[in-house]
Amino acid sequence: MSTAAATVRRRRVRLVLVAVVAVLLVAAPLILPAFANQTLVRIGVYAVAVLGLNIIMGYTGQVNLGQIFFVGLGAYVTAYGVNHGWNILLVFVAACAIAGVVGLLVALAAARLGGLAIAMVTIALPIVGVPLAKRLADFTGGSQGVSARFTDAPDWSGLANDQWQFYIVLVVVAGAFLLARSLVHGKYGRAFAAVRENEAVAASMGISPYRTKVLAFTIASVFGGASGFLYLAAVQYTSPETLSFGHSISLLAAMVIGGAGSIAGSLLGGAYYVLVPQLTNAIDPNLTTVSQGAILLAVLFLLPGGLVSLPRVVRRLTRRPPARRSISRPAAETSQQTTPAHRPVPDAAPEEREQTERQDGP
Amino acid sequence: MKMRKKPGAVLGIVALTAAVALSLSGCRGDSGGQGGGSASSPGITDSAITLGITTPLSGAIAGPGKCTVAGVSAYFGAVNAAGGVKFGDGKTRTVNIKSYDDAYDPQKSLANFQQMVSDNVFAATAGLGTPTNRAFRDAAISQKVPQVLVMTGDPLFSDRKQSPWQLGFVPIYQNEGAAFGKLLAKSGAQHKVAILSQNDDYGKGYVAGFKDAIKGASNISVVGEQTYEATDTSVDAQLTQLASSGADVFFNAMSITPLTIAALQKAQQIGWKPSWFLPSNTSSPTAILEPGGGSAYPGIYSVSFAKAPQSPAFAKDSDVVKFLDELKKYGNYPDMPAFPHCMWSYMVGATLEKAFQNMKEPTRDSFMTALRDIKDLKAPLMLEGTSVDTTVDGQPAVSSVVVQKYNGKGYATVENVG
Repeated sequence: MSTAAATVRRRRVRLVLVAVVAVLLVAAPLILPAFANQTLVRIGVYAVAVLGLNIIMGYTGQVNLGQIFFVGLGAYVTAYGVNHGWNILLVFVAACAIAGVVGLLVALAAARLGGLAIAMVTIALPIVGVPLAKRLADFTGGSQGVSARFTDAPDWSGLANDQWQFYIVLVVVAGAFLLARSLVHGKYGRAFAAVRENEAVAASMGISPYRTKVLAFTIASVFGGASGFLYLAAVQYTSPETLSFGHSISLLAAMVIGGAGSIAGSLLGGAYYVLVPQLTNAIDPNLTTVSQGAILLAVLFLLPGGLVSLPRVVRRLTRRPPARRSISRPAAETSQQTTPAHRPVPDAAPEEREQTERQDGP
Repeated sequence: MKMRKKPGAVLGIVALTAAVALSLSGCRGDSGGQGGGSASSPGITDSAITLGITTPLSGAIAGPGKCTVAGVSAYFGAVNAAGGVKFGDGKTRTVNIKSYDDAYDPQKSLANFQQMVSDNVFAATAGLGTPTNRAFRDAAISQKVPQVLVMTGDPLFSDRKQSPWQLGFVPIYQNEGAAFGKLLAKSGAQHKVAILSQNDDYGKGYVAGFKDAIKGASNISVVGEQTYEATDTSVDAQLTQLASSGADVFFNAMSITPLTIAALQKAQQIGWKPSWFLPSNTSSPTAILEPGGGSAYPGIYSVSFAKAPQSPAFAKDSDVVKFLDELKKYGNYPDMPAFPHCMWSYMVGATLEKAFQNMKEPTRDSFMTALRDIKDLKAPLMLEGTSVDTTVDGQPAVSSVVVQKYNGKGYATVENVG
């Protein structure tokens, strides 16, 4: 009974936390300077791309080196739609859908191949994509790229452009993350995990590895397309450079650094993708590659589970004192008061938990 | 151990404070710039002006990119050491250069531009690359930040109506094609021309400039025209076709180094030896003509507007000596420049200085007016017959180039083809 109460309370705490974060996000662009907003907008763009990559790689365990192709495809579709005066919602749907359909077609073929063969097929995407974007000049503007402005703040809103962009990106990013969270916590998430761990076992449980892979790949492409839409909302320009293969590797690095197989890690990955070049530029613009490499190595050595594992590592480092506390009682009481949200230590005595309840009661 | 109760929280607080402090400082900087003095633009004070350069400093195009920063830094390093620039409003200011690496990624160059705005940069300049400059062109226009004397042959940057806050520096593709066409038409002799061009804005620009220049010249006839894609690995088929046309002049608008070398070799193999025209960026004597066996042809022509420091003809030239010295001292570039961008951006420095000297108020508006009013400026390192002219709509700051002929080692300016 006491644990049930604790879960309820924890849920309430979480609800409050979510509400606070939501309010902060809505209020942030009004307070922050333009550059901070623009940076957050770009983080949102890449967080969605990394999120898609996480679904196929982190959750389903299939190597995908072509995510940037879908980002670029979404960006080009968006540019084309905007320049032809389509409704913006239609543009968004088209950017996601076309990327999704292309992803589906690629996956139908690629998922038949096992293991690294999928990686090879996905490498081909950006490599084919760049010359394709240059040649299809009627759609893509050729090697000079194409501009499309649709995210200037309308007059009635009274907002600056960067604030308006922030809200557009916020809506899409929030939607994408909520959808992805439901997806990986539901039956498909379990199917993804089963396929990642062992395809034979998955098949024996009635989960078709082939269909699961195709599904994950298609969803990743849809997120890529959405990210492309956001890319154009933020950058307002796209060119063949956008989908060059190197960016795909950077996205992959961002995903691993944020935390593979983690929703929050995708957000951190997006932040890494955007902030680290800015940081290294501030250190010394002539040494960006060197310092980026150093940061990459440092994070992977110190946090092999990605940035998202930072709280876990911190908790592990701080857990040792509580273990000692269960032996010497008085110390435990004092520290318990300072940390009410402290999760009960599994091996702690049951009375200790009751004590916590009593303290919080009145 | 006992002290370390909640490092996570402490860390979080520190991080949060740092983030807030950072963003607040950015905020204050913004308003401070606008409030100071009689409506002077951000990035300019009574004693200094700050310029920003976003350019590839890492990745495949880092070589030319580093040159763009080095040249401008060298020029203004020397100027600052001598006291600074005397501006048109009577005040003497030093010029600070901030460089940003965009790795030839449009998204990063936009981010760098946004960073420049928050760093209070007066104007963006000298950045290299068409996509990277295009990526923040709209933003520069809407925020009224000058994006001037950039290194791209894209004519969009020199269109005053579409790009009110922009100006390109280097000649647009059309300029180069036209310079050769004019000289050819002037020669008076009968010439049959074969044209091969890259199927994009680059190739089309060269061909359009060339054809405009030979329009009405009865002694020139175009006898064959072929294109190739930038992704092609061979142009052998096109060369065979063009060779059969019997042309004595080959206009090759090609931007890809290995293809150019292969084309030079292939034409020799099939026994076709016309005079060649090559664009300025694929006509390097050491990197292209020597491996391609360029001396087998009666003439290889290209265009240029900068003195080449490598060339023995300019080894003792006072401009070149001063330039190399300053590049070493202030530009942090101790080697012999491998790319013309070093010289070009040095000229950008001279052009900017001229605009600074003429601007009447410390504002971006006044700067643009002054910049658009430079005529016949003979910047250091410019070849005889070329000059900076920013007054013509649709043309970049440098639109005059001279045709040069390969002499087995380097290039020398020629007055006539043949």
